[in-house]
Amino acid sequence: MFVYAIKRILLMVPTLFAVSLLIFILLNVSAGDPGAQQAAGDGSQDAQKGDSRESYRIFKEQFNLDKPILFNTRYNLGGSDVEAAIGDILNEDGSVSLTRQIEAQNNMDDWGSYAVPGLLHCLRNCAKDTAKAKASQRLAINGQAKLLTGYIDGKVSKEEAARQKAENKTIRKANAELGAWSYQAFDLTAELEALSKKSPGLDAAASKVAVEARKAAHAERVAAVEKFWASWWEENQTRWEYTSGEKVGIFFLDTRFAKYWSNLLRLDFGKSHLDKKPVLETVLSKLKYSITLAVSSVFLIYFISLPLGIWSAVKQGTVADQLVTFVLFMLYSLPSFFVAVILLNLFTVGDWAVFPNIGFQSDNADQMTTLQYVKDVLWHVCLPIACMSYGGLAALSRYARTGLLDVIRSDYIRTARAKVLPEGVVIIKHAARNGMIPIITLMATLLPALIGGSVIIEVIFGIPGMGSYMFSSILQYDYNAVMVVLLISSFLTLVGMLLADLSYALVDPRITFD
Amino acid sequence: MTEHNTNVMQSEPEDVTFIDIVWGQFKKNRMAYAAMWLVVILFLLAVYAPLIASERPFIWQDAEGTYFPWFSSLFDHNYYENGVDKFFNLLLILGTPLFVVWWLMLRAAQKSGMEKRLRRQKIRKFSFVMIIGFLVVFLGVILTQSGQVNRHNFETYEEAKAAGKAVSAIFPPIAYNYSKQSLEEKLQQPNAKHIMGTDRKGRDVAVRILFGTRISLSVGVIAVGIYVTIGIFLGAFAGFFRGRVDMLIQRVIEIFMSVPTLIVLLVMISFIEKPSIFHIMVVIGLFRWTGVARLVRGEFYRLRNLDFVTSAIALGYSNRRIIFQHILPNALGPVLVAATFGVAAAILLESSLSFLGLGDISVPSWGQTLSAGYKTGEWYLILIPGIAIFITVTLLNLIGEGLRDALDPKMRK
Repeated sequence: MFVYAIKRILLMVPTLFAVSLLIFILLNVSAGDPGAQQAAGDGSQDAQKGDSRESYRIFKEQFNLDKPILFNTRYNLGGSDVEAAIGDILNEDGSVSLTRQIEAQNNMDDWGSYAVPGLLHCLRNCAKDTAKAKASQRLAINGQAKLLTGYIDGKVSKEEAARQKAENKTIRKANAELGAWSYQAFDLTAELEALSKKSPGLDAAASKVAVEARKAAHAERVAAVEKFWASWWEENQTRWEYTSGEKVGIFFLDTRFAKYWSNLLRLDFGKSHLDKKPVLETVLSKLKYSITLAVSSVFLIYFISLPLGIWSAVKQGTVADQLVTFVLFMLYSLPSFFVAVILLNLFTVGDWAVFPNIGFQSDNADQMTTLQYVKDVLWHVCLPIACMSYGGLAALSRYARTGLLDVIRSDYIRTARAKVLPEGVVIIKHAARNGMIPIITLMATLLPALIGGSVIIEVIFGIPGMGSYMFSSILQYDYNAVMVVLLISSFLTLVGMLLADLSYALVDPRITFD
Repeated sequence: MTEHNTNVMQSEPEDVTFIDIVWGQFKKNRMAYAAMWLVVILFLLAVYAPLIASERPFIWQDAEGTYFPWFSSLFDHNYYENGVDKFFNLLLILGTPLFVVWWLMLRAAQKSGMEKRLRRQKIRKFSFVMIIGFLVVFLGVILTQSGQVNRHNFETYEEAKAAGKAVSAIFPPIAYNYSKQSLEEKLQQPNAKHIMGTDRKGRDVAVRILFGTRISLSVGVIAVGIYVTIGIFLGAFAGFFRGRVDMLIQRVIEIFMSVPTLIVLLVMISFIEKPSIFHIMVVIGLFRWTGVARLVRGEFYRLRNLDFVTSAIALGYSNRRIIFQHILPNALGPVLVAATFGVAAAILLESSLSFLGLGDISVPSWGQTLSAGYKTGEWYLILIPGIAIFITVTLLNLIGEGLRDALDPKMRK
């Protein structure tokens, strides 16, 4: 039994890993790009331009959204890939669709420094001046080295932090220098226009000479930039020379999933990008509301359904039994959100407004004595708990009834009756004990179901628990928050399943796992 | 099950199949039997919804000529946007005559005095050809979305009359479209013009409820169809091959079981850029198959050791044949029960989703109307869709219970 429990708990680890992988893939595949939606949600229609584009890039970097999802093959990003992307971004003949253009732009951002060899290749070999210019501009961005961020958490020693900060200063300086080594493509019409603005009335020959001079200056600038990047490459080449071991490392580890999991192992579930607080803290602070609701619902369900089920099994076939069975069946089929809306409209507004409108407690909760507070909370959670429990109550009573009916026909009950034991003893002591075994194990599956199902109830009744937090995070594409809630509810479900199996063996001595 | 079958065969001249027994048993349960017919009526309502409610008149006659806008609207891409409506419209136009032909065939076969088994085979073959043909036509309709725009601007009858035009037209009883908004008529209580009132955008609630039947039924059936297929395959493999295959599939089941469906559904649907009703069906289908797989696996474990399987293996039949032709038919009973309850659950899931405002907003889902009721506090907007969901779910659960009892040999009298 003990060995079995340990085995199951150990098995939970790979299962949880697989669950997180599954959720992760689903989120990333269906999401398209949560970051883009977030950026679009910031009200910037032109997320493609200027500041918002840059902040979007930083945002993506912060949440590792610039990395590929599962496998990273960017170490062999070649010149042709980069050239194609640059061609798409420039869209000179207008044949590239807008979505592809944006995609190419995003790719170029996401590739980051992996694109540097390709960009250099383009700077040297591209035929078109515009493409070369673009490559130089991208080099100035993508070639920049990353700043050290280790000191931000405050987990390193003071000296180390100071060292990192100092190093960041030099990196920043070098990066700023790189930013200067790019050029704009030579645009003949623009040059001519500028010329005619500067000195109107210039004749054709003179303007031709002037333009030629500009062209020469431009060529000089191009040569200088190319030379700079060539020498820079000589110096920094080693950054892009990967051994096969490094390649494997990049392939598996420089990915969103690997980063996320390495954080998970440190129990770091990331930060919400809305309030910048760790999501785990927020969820744990919300958990008490959800747990209150779930646990009291479970109590209520068992408190009512067990006696009810036994009673109607004993009275099997009578009118009362049929009535109860019918009502329970109806309750079982009633959708909880429908009931919630009805109760909300009946008892919180209008003539019968006996219950408070929404929320978990009154606004002045902190001024109350403990007794008052408990009363206040009870008053608030009455309707939500009613909505959460009636469905399970109906289901469980029906299980209890059939469970008892199954047992009541068996021989040992007949024996007990033949011994002229009082009927109450036969039912409670002999029959119910056996008949309720399946019911008790249902508790373990009930709890996670309640947590999953509480989303709607919490949203309707405005209870600030995990469910409504989940819902608002979904609406705001708060990626880390959604992940953590999904993981926690999956974990609870797994624990529930384990408890169900174990309690089977605990309650019923006939079942062993050995 | 098989034993029972052979016993009956010996005692009766015409062979009585297992299905006959279950069906006879099911019919005895009057509640379930009535519920089944009510669901058939719901289905017919869904199919014939355009006959009851459509903005386009059946016949429209004016100075320019006579038109039949109702017919052309049925497959008009601009009028019925989503595939669900097109499918049901095709059922209305093509399915009705096909059903009549099928029925006549059935009658003729029954009168011909053919042997029962042969007759069944023939009917099965014929039905199969018909369904395939229907689906091919449906694919054709979907792929050749003509998207024709009506040349003629059909105003409502009243408007045309008020303008003093000489038109005569025959409209369906409710002359509204489920997606047509009119802000002047928003949130009207039920009245003579709108028998169930209008919602927050002035859309007729009666029409939305009527066409919502289509959405609910198709979500239920298709989602369950997807997951029953997945569940049967995986469950059958796990139960038949056992060993490592079983171990692997068990782990996969565990993984999918531990993810709460409603939450995953919420997340995926809200993260998909343009969620359609088909996404909802697929996501429900992908996450709910575990129950069916476990059921089928258990049945296979049980049946695998029975004599008829051993003899099939001894005869050298292929694994495929043993799994699908010998064991599976005997394992389908519990799956059918689970599927019936599953349809109800899928309908509930879809309506909770659209209640939260995350579903496909272009379809007239019941949950959406209920959500309007929640936001406005109008009783008619709460009760009408809520009762529609409640009735559908109750009927399906009743059928499920009836089926379960009918399949249970202990309950047989």
